[in-house]
Amino acid sequence: MSATLVANLRSTAGRTPDQVALVKGERAVTYGALWSMACRFAGGLRTAGFAAGDRLALGLENSAEYVAAYYGTLLAGGIVVPLNVAAKARDFEFWLKHCAASWVVCSAENRELLAAAASIGTKVVTTGGVAPGAMAFTDIEGEFGDRATPDAHAPACILYTSGTTGSPKGVLLSQHNIASNTDAIVTYLGLTATDSIVCVLPFYYSYGNSVLHTHVKVGAKIVLDDNLVYPHKVVDNIARSRVTGFAGVPSTFALLLGRVTLKDFDLSALRYLTQAGGAMSVATTQKLREALPRAALYVMYGQTEASARLTYLPPADLDRKLGSVGIALPGIELEVRSETGERCAAMQTGTVWAHGPNVMCGYWDNPEATAKTLQGGWLNTGDVGYLDADGFLFLAGRRSDMIKTGAHRVHPKDVEEVIEELAEVAEVAVVGVDDELLGQAIKAFVVARSPGGIDVMQLKAHCRQRLANYKIPKYVDLVGSLPKTASGKIRRHELVERQTE
Amino acid sequence: MSSKSEIKQFILGNYLFTNDESALADDDSLLQKGIVDSTGMLELIMHLEEKYGIKVAEDEMVPANLDSVVKITAFLERKLAK
Repeated sequence: MSATLVANLRSTAGRTPDQVALVKGERAVTYGALWSMACRFAGGLRTAGFAAGDRLALGLENSAEYVAAYYGTLLAGGIVVPLNVAAKARDFEFWLKHCAASWVVCSAENRELLAAAASIGTKVVTTGGVAPGAMAFTDIEGEFGDRATPDAHAPACILYTSGTTGSPKGVLLSQHNIASNTDAIVTYLGLTATDSIVCVLPFYYSYGNSVLHTHVKVGAKIVLDDNLVYPHKVVDNIARSRVTGFAGVPSTFALLLGRVTLKDFDLSALRYLTQAGGAMSVATTQKLREALPRAALYVMYGQTEASARLTYLPPADLDRKLGSVGIALPGIELEVRSETGERCAAMQTGTVWAHGPNVMCGYWDNPEATAKTLQGGWLNTGDVGYLDADGFLFLAGRRSDMIKTGAHRVHPKDVEEVIEELAEVAEVAVVGVDDELLGQAIKAFVVARSPGGIDVMQLKAHCRQRLANYKIPKYVDLVGSLPKTASGKIRRHELVERQTE
Repeated sequence: MSSKSEIKQFILGNYLFTNDESALADDDSLLQKGIVDSTGMLELIMHLEEKYGIKVAEDEMVPANLDSVVKITAFLERKLAK
């Protein structure tokens, strides 16, 4: 029988009930307590009429409640839909409608999500107080006889990636998808119950999601840290908590290296670092290794459609294969294919395809996108690259226009749609431009209906109302016209190139 | 303009995209209200360093010094008095 995530938590809680699972500030929650919370939550859902296959939207920051609601929903046979808590009502409404969520769990202070839930009429559960019309998280409780074993292959989780309102991309994963990937990651990182990590990655993204499930699997400790607004505090936490691991995206490491003198801290317990979420420059990689020579650096690559991970670069091969994202995880096959679909020879560049137990079931309620992305059991990653003679993957970019800014993915159309809502705007094109810290920053080229008709500050203020903060363009250029092809399509590449000239 | 209102204007203009002073209370937490993220904080620090000629040390990058208009102003005054 295939492993499930709930079986992992049950087994860890049974083995080491008193082991600390999560630490947030002064609060520590053990695996025994976490399992009880998840069971109570599952029982409460069932009592309230939650049925197998129902969708529960989970809009919480990293916390014990997040984990209890996540695993509790799976225990109850439901599908959990983690949402980016920084999103605005516009996104929330769209996601809740698209997955037809019947329940929403969020903070009593998340006005945007509460507004969306109210407009749709879902049941609402809040933490940190009770919002009007909502139920308290602690009141969702009931006996959960530990009898049900959810089907490992049934839909378990939907993770919305950066699609647009026109083309929703809700990546549907089964417990088997995530649990198999969890096992592979645990193996190559050599994770055990003696490990611990300071986690700054949100659980609602697949990278953070995999940090959570891998640590639950082995019974390791996760120390939650708010974010990187105060990088010094994060490093101080890593030192004081004497954690053995730390996971980041390129901008995380750029920020820590740029703002904190790492040698001033005792980071001797740090056994390993992981880096995913886009290519990190060779210079940053080298600086990181010089700053923390005792910590093994794992460069990794994957995507939400693959549960999380597809490849990792064994630290011993880092020098030999600098710039590579590594080899396929055990159980995963990679192929680079040409435009015509033929398998490329070594060193020949093409599109990266993947096959394995971690590959998603499909996009929720989007058969067209699913058919384009999944073919014959293979996942078209949309990433472009080549495999060398030893099977190490080197990436060269993406076919899509997706912008990677910090830990986030932003679809240009998503931002363009919001800017186009302004009456003064005739046309807009949004692109990613190089940014030292974020990898890419968002830039909007805007054509006004009449000269001088656009106030940039107002435009940004409008974006702030309608978009998560990380989607607000950092730069806005007012231009007379946009470069287009003969058929009228905007030439985004030309706009990006203008930038680098 | 006092340093307090200058700092407030900087935050309003760069993170809230408005001149409306009522959009931000002087003791609002910049972190909890989701007003600045990690890059926003770096920009804010760069602004303080350039505008006021101070140097913000690593261990001064803490909420007690930077999490609201009131805290930033007090921090700045302490730095300038040194």
